[in-house]
Amino acid sequence: MRVFCSSFPVSADLSEYGEALPPREDRPQELARLLAHPAIWRAGRAARMPVWPSGFPALDKGLPGGGWPQAGLIEVLPSRLGVGELSLLMPALAAVTRRPGARWCAWVAPVLQPFAPALEACGVVLDRLLIVQAHRSGVRPLSLWAFEQTLGCGACDIAFAWAREPRPRQIRRLHLAAQRGSTLGVLFRSRREAGEASQALLRVAVEPLEGGVRVTLLKSRGGARGPIELKWAAQGKCVEQA
Amino acid sequence: MRAQKSADLFAPDAPQRTAQAVPLAPVPPHRSAAPAAAPPARCAELWLGVRVLADAEQPHAAQKILPALRRLATLAQRLTPRVALAPPDGLLLEVKGSLHLFGGADGLRGEMDAACAHCGLRGTLALAPTPLAALSAARAGRPLVVLDSAQLIGRLSPLPLTALRWPPGLLDRLACIGVRTIGQALRLPRAGFAHRFGAAQLKDLDRLTGHASDPRERFEGRMRFRRRRELSFELASRTALLGELGPLLGELERFLAARQCGVLTLECRLWHRGRPPSRTVLRLAAPLADAARLAQLLGERLGTLSLPAPVHACELRSGLPVPRGLSSGELWQPGEHGGSAAAGSLELIERLRARLGSEAVHGLACVQDHRPEAAWGATEPGACPGEGSGACRGVASRPLWLLPSPRRLTERGRLPRYRGGLRLASEPERIETGGWDGAEVARDYYIGLDTHGRRLWLFRERNPPHHWYLHGVFG
Repeated sequence: MRVFCSSFPVSADLSEYGEALPPREDRPQELARLLAHPAIWRAGRAARMPVWPSGFPALDKGLPGGGWPQAGLIEVLPSRLGVGELSLLMPALAAVTRRPGARWCAWVAPVLQPFAPALEACGVVLDRLLIVQAHRSGVRPLSLWAFEQTLGCGACDIAFAWAREPRPRQIRRLHLAAQRGSTLGVLFRSRREAGEASQALLRVAVEPLEGGVRVTLLKSRGGARGPIELKWAAQGKCVEQA
Repeated sequence: MRAQKSADLFAPDAPQRTAQAVPLAPVPPHRSAAPAAAPPARCAELWLGVRVLADAEQPHAAQKILPALRRLATLAQRLTPRVALAPPDGLLLEVKGSLHLFGGADGLRGEMDAACAHCGLRGTLALAPTPLAALSAARAGRPLVVLDSAQLIGRLSPLPLTALRWPPGLLDRLACIGVRTIGQALRLPRAGFAHRFGAAQLKDLDRLTGHASDPRERFEGRMRFRRRRELSFELASRTALLGELGPLLGELERFLAARQCGVLTLECRLWHRGRPPSRTVLRLAAPLADAARLAQLLGERLGTLSLPAPVHACELRSGLPVPRGLSSGELWQPGEHGGSAAAGSLELIERLRARLGSEAVHGLACVQDHRPEAAWGATEPGACPGEGSGACRGVASRPLWLLPSPRRLTERGRLPRYRGGLRLASEPERIETGGWDGAEVARDYYIGLDTHGRRLWLFRERNPPHHWYLHGVFG
């Protein structure tokens, strides 16, 4: 049996349990109880973790845990900027900002100006948005610094960031910061960087379709394989939440 | 009831009765032994008089005594709001209300002694129901503690008259008739006393015993904090500079703690030799008084500052102190078990602003305007009216991304091109408004699909030359 342990601060060394194991007939239950720990992911099954529903039932079925993870870094790799990667995340963003006691939802170094009327039309509560124009100074590490601060401080529910060619070490730092602050970090990267190693929990490629997007999970903990096709709701771009 | 009777004798409307050589005040036998347990104060007011002496060990101590006294008065505002200066060497505090908060008379004297030591002064303290009595006892070097107004005159009587700081010639004349203590002066007939030694002196005696009011001007400290520090040698390292700013920040923290306030703006000036000073201004989202967090934010600020030359002095100037809402700490971390993120969220904004500039971090709000470029605004984060403002409800589909300014597109055959041909995928939406403020627009908006499958927001000008522009991306 292969057991993978994610970087939660728990001791999951099974060999230590050799002495203390109960009598043989109780072992399956004990083992099941141990393996029920959320920090343990058995390859071949979808990982269990606290998630935000994505707002697309078809996507929820494919994502491990049934939605976007609540703590950790994910990468979204659109084929071009603006093919629908932002609309893909809008239902989750709207639901999170509408929650009572919601924390900030930060946009770090957005490439263009986020348009408030469209966001409000998607159901996003603008009150919870925080726009950080970090690329203004033209220094790239500053936007990653701002992203790490945003992820690690524990004051944000979701943080979006746009970065060009982040290094694997930086991504690992960002992921650890996101887990520390229990924040969903979404890093938008170019599709061309899909071949690079990354510590992110989830890597999602996004391609445009007529009236929707095609989503492929490049990396996930037991998520669906193959493309998932999503259609925007008829009226606008965003699916209305129930 | 003897004290009550003496009060009648001292009433200003009864001088004619004193002509018959009635003693000014009956003097009860002096009690030297202090009561074992501190009794509650039985008087309307209780004043703590402080007479300060400069520490002889410090150079030029005598010249610095008045600034030191003002510093002491500022520190003393922590103990009571009613602090009065009594130049050249005295300080008065009304402490009736704060006596029980600081552990009685002894605790209060301990606090005040520590404050004196902090200012480099040695103080003599006395507690009495009237300000002049407390001050005179302190000036006579007697650490009296009188908590009952009935005992006041008896305890004051043995004090020498020199404690009242009357003119020396007058004191000599009083000494000639054998009057050397306050008690002896109080026994003299009022009318004769006023006639021979002056009405002002009689008034002083009335104030001393509490039979005349003695209003004291309340001490007001500086409103803003401003302190400069000369460095012992020139520094160019930012880390070392931050270390040198530490004591100033500590002083700022105490300054603000005494007022229960925080600062919203803090200016730091760094002085160079032969050049204008570098200055940087820290703007905060909420009133802050914590030296450690201010140091952290200032460190971020200094990191972005380019210093033209080494620094030989630094200065901190605060904005107006703002009352600070004191809140309890959170048991839970933000995000777990419903722990709120209120404190952490402001900290995040301040840290980002310290490094990136205050305009780099903002919130979004809708503005009721049909022109897309005027339909949104940057606000203070969290200041946008919440859900239900409805400013943008009912609009047709709008893109999630807006270009900072419309971008002119090339055309072929009256159709726009953007890195390849564009296909128009919607009916036009006309926006024609803004004639009243000089920014009039007359445009037909379309949704266009480019060769990569992106949905773009385009418009064509209604007026000649009918150019095409790209204004948004649906994302």
